[in-house]
Amino acid sequence: MSLDSYRLSEEPKYYPSANEVALYTAAYEARLPVMLKGPTGCGKTRFVEHMAWKLGKPLVTIACHEDMTASDFVGRYLLGPDGTYWQDGPLTKAVREGGICYLDEIVEARQDTTVIIHALTDDRRILPLEKKGELVKAHPDFQLVISYNPGYQSVLKDLKESTKQRFCALDFDYPIAQIEADIVASEAGLNPQDAERLTKIAGKSRNLRGKGLDEGASTRMLIHAGRLMSAGLPIAAACEFALIIPITDDPEMRSTLTAAVDACI
Amino acid sequence: MLVSDWIRSEGLSPTLRKAFEGAHREGYLRAYDRLEGAGYGAAVLRAFASAAPRVATQVGPDQAIALATDASRIAIKARPRTAGAFLDLCPVMAVKLKDPQQFGQWREMIAAVLRKHPKAVLPLLSRSEMLFDRLGLDPLGAWVQTGLRVAGQDGEQAIAYFQLETPEALRLLERFAGEANFPSLESGLKSFYTALWQQTPLLREAGSRGPNGGSVRRTTFSGGLIQMPSAFSGFRGQEQQLYRASIAHVGAHKTYGGAQFKLGQLKPLQVAVVSLIEDARVETLTMRDMPGLHRLWCPFHTAQHDGVPTAQNLFSGLARALIDPEFHPTHGWVKKGVKMFQAAAGRLHDPAISRQIGNILGNDLGQTRVQFDAVGYVVQPAYRDDNLGLWDLPADPETPPPSQELEAPLADLRRTETHDQRQDRKQEQAKPETPDVLEPVKTMAADPEAGRKMASLPEYDYHGGIERDDWVSVNAYDPVPGDPGFWDQLQDRHGAALSRIQKAVATSETGKRRKLKQQLEGETLDLDAAIDTAIALRSNRQPDPNVYESITPPPRSIAVHLLLDISQSTADPAGPNLTILDMERDAAAILASTMAQLGDDLAITAFSSAGRHDMRVVPVKTFDTPLDKTTASVLSGLHPGFSTRIGAALRYACRDLDGLPRYRKIVLLVTDGAPSDIDMPDADYLVEDARRAVQRMRAQGIDAICVALGNDAGQRHTEIFGRKTCVQITDIATLPAKLSAFYLRMTR
Repeated sequence: MSLDSYRLSEEPKYYPSANEVALYTAAYEARLPVMLKGPTGCGKTRFVEHMAWKLGKPLVTIACHEDMTASDFVGRYLLGPDGTYWQDGPLTKAVREGGICYLDEIVEARQDTTVIIHALTDDRRILPLEKKGELVKAHPDFQLVISYNPGYQSVLKDLKESTKQRFCALDFDYPIAQIEADIVASEAGLNPQDAERLTKIAGKSRNLRGKGLDEGASTRMLIHAGRLMSAGLPIAAACEFALIIPITDDPEMRSTLTAAVDACI
Repeated sequence: MLVSDWIRSEGLSPTLRKAFEGAHREGYLRAYDRLEGAGYGAAVLRAFASAAPRVATQVGPDQAIALATDASRIAIKARPRTAGAFLDLCPVMAVKLKDPQQFGQWREMIAAVLRKHPKAVLPLLSRSEMLFDRLGLDPLGAWVQTGLRVAGQDGEQAIAYFQLETPEALRLLERFAGEANFPSLESGLKSFYTALWQQTPLLREAGSRGPNGGSVRRTTFSGGLIQMPSAFSGFRGQEQQLYRASIAHVGAHKTYGGAQFKLGQLKPLQVAVVSLIEDARVETLTMRDMPGLHRLWCPFHTAQHDGVPTAQNLFSGLARALIDPEFHPTHGWVKKGVKMFQAAAGRLHDPAISRQIGNILGNDLGQTRVQFDAVGYVVQPAYRDDNLGLWDLPADPETPPPSQELEAPLADLRRTETHDQRQDRKQEQAKPETPDVLEPVKTMAADPEAGRKMASLPEYDYHGGIERDDWVSVNAYDPVPGDPGFWDQLQDRHGAALSRIQKAVATSETGKRRKLKQQLEGETLDLDAAIDTAIALRSNRQPDPNVYESITPPPRSIAVHLLLDISQSTADPAGPNLTILDMERDAAAILASTMAQLGDDLAITAFSSAGRHDMRVVPVKTFDTPLDKTTASVLSGLHPGFSTRIGAALRYACRDLDGLPRYRKIVLLVTDGAPSDIDMPDADYLVEDARRAVQRMRAQGIDAICVALGNDAGQRHTEIFGRKTCVQITDIATLPAKLSAFYLRMTR
């Protein structure tokens, strides 16, 4: 299977908040690996999609999880009717054929598995397939992008220093209120006043980041709330449904957030 | 006179006849005779004759007749006057309770107080009606029972409690009434303020008494500190809204307020008006940003149009008129205020307008005959602060403003300005009382040996089936350094055991990754399985799909909090030249080294207690510190003393473990005795409490394991921990070796 099916057919909308597009383009020109840092739901994945579309490259996304092993990245031997055969993993596919490989939430994967990307991210640009005894040289178009949320990582989960230092990094945060309101308005099809109110509410919840909440309400949550409002829900109900209840299980914090939402509307 | 004679000679009143029919009539008359014969005085007898028929009609003749026995007991143990008060109260309570069973319950409650503290019955009776109205029967019972527990054997304290003179009595009253107060709302208020204003406030409960001896009724702020009253009276069911409104108001001041106003030559009346305009100004600005706050604030403005035009009423009216567009004032002065405020709508960001408008309005009001009582003035509505934070009070720059002074009523503004002597006196008074503004306002009695208060824990009372929050105070005591050569000596003493355990750990599979063969999923092919499957395929047999090999995920994620009982009883000998504590110490050290080898997290806390106000803990090792010479030194420096409050120790350890990201969390308790403490004569109480603590922990996914030492200790521990999670070590000398082996088995 070629990577063509990984090409994006439509432009994923992205609202730049600074010079991140230029920075990323420069990194791609130099084929440098990029790390995207930032809280959940602030637009990291959307940004990579946007850039892949812009550069016209296929995008292979791997959502990392706790049980992820090296084989899940590079591939494994499978048993067929005529004996074993090798099946490339998604990373190997992108390396061979030249795509952008995006490892989402890399810290979730087991630490020993992240080491396999080391040879790909320095000037060697190779991927050793140990079990197959093959050394894959990266296609000239190949680029590696990882994302990483410094917010909720615990002491148990952090990137190794040797991994970190191989990447250029872009810091993402929630957009400034005006841009965020525009995003919410256009993504959710909401009127600007309501979008602004939602943004203000999100600001209140973000004030509590690290003070009772792990994260404030994300732009994604605001868009969800906005869509609910477009579907006819009143703002208080939409916020409770899309923001407050998902974000915390603590009844006291919920009550506080409800009061804060109430203060803004 | 005999009953029969009496019936014959006088007959009964129609009320009594109706209330006591048939056999009950004789019962009543006998009870009456007994009371008369006992000679408690005519008043008691009259009270009984008056109360009995009324009680009988409400809750039945049996209850009414039983009152005679109650009254007689009260008269004997307390005083006849108290019995009279009891009888007078009975008809009232009977009307309120209606149900005979509930009435009996109430009588039993009084009887319980009578048994323990007869003198406390009268204060309780005199407040019974109010207490019942506020609490209802069951919570009242719980409150009374808690009072008896609080007082213990101390009669004076019992009286003070039932007279509602102790802060604890009031606090518990609020809690049992289900009313929210400052401590219960504090953390929510902090979050609310942080959410709204992006700043974490320095929030404190104001002292229970204001400068005039009255209670603190309004929030006050000064510098970075916000002090709120412990409760607002008269706002039942609205407490949370009121506190939120109040803290949002302070936030408005802090966000939109300017520099403090200079006092100048302003009179208290003008100060009050300027403050009022400033309140309205910052609120209006805040509501432009957060319109929803109008819904929070407005309901507390309840001023009416046609009140008597006192200064207080006019102020309330103006305050409401400035926030509530639906309110149309009638008084000229209020109308003028609204007009001036509206005229300044474009310049609201300038705090000077508050002063301008306030001055003019203050002058106007001063020229009318309206009286202003500066001493009794309280800012309205209740959510607003006392305005002292707005004013630059003349004070000695070298002394930080003592919090007592912050609560000074408005009238003091003038005094501090005009009478220098008074100011000095006030400062002298205030200094020793509140040396530091940042000191928590609510502090428990300090311990002589300088323990630091770390936490307040709940405790469970099986009598009432209630869990009392903040009941036990945990104080941390600094460890005493002991023998630095402890590790070497341990090696000498328990060399054999140590090496045996080391071997056990080395062969223990718990810590290692293992290859799993013949798996359905895995990283690599299991070659043998693959060949078998290939053969099966080619010989047309059903192939086995389990051809992969994988590795077990990283195992062992264990955290253990080891609790060492160091109560006085651990000073008992366990062998030649050895005490139980010595053994515990060795056992802890061996266990710690075992766990360090396995890579498990360990904290060690030694505990004892001296009543509920002093649960003593010595942190030997925390989860963050490594196992080293310091640990050994602290461990060997432990010395026995005081009692054993197991439930509190478990809760403490559990709290410590709670946030730790581990799969398995264990609290391991090593103790030599059943729970006991100096303030608790009832042995079952602490056992039941500990049992409850264990149940709670298990519900949270934390295991509780007990190692009970000695012969007779075991029985109660099994009750608390259950048979499977409690191990009895009768030969204490084997404890060090057994503990580690036990641990390995438990965590496999």
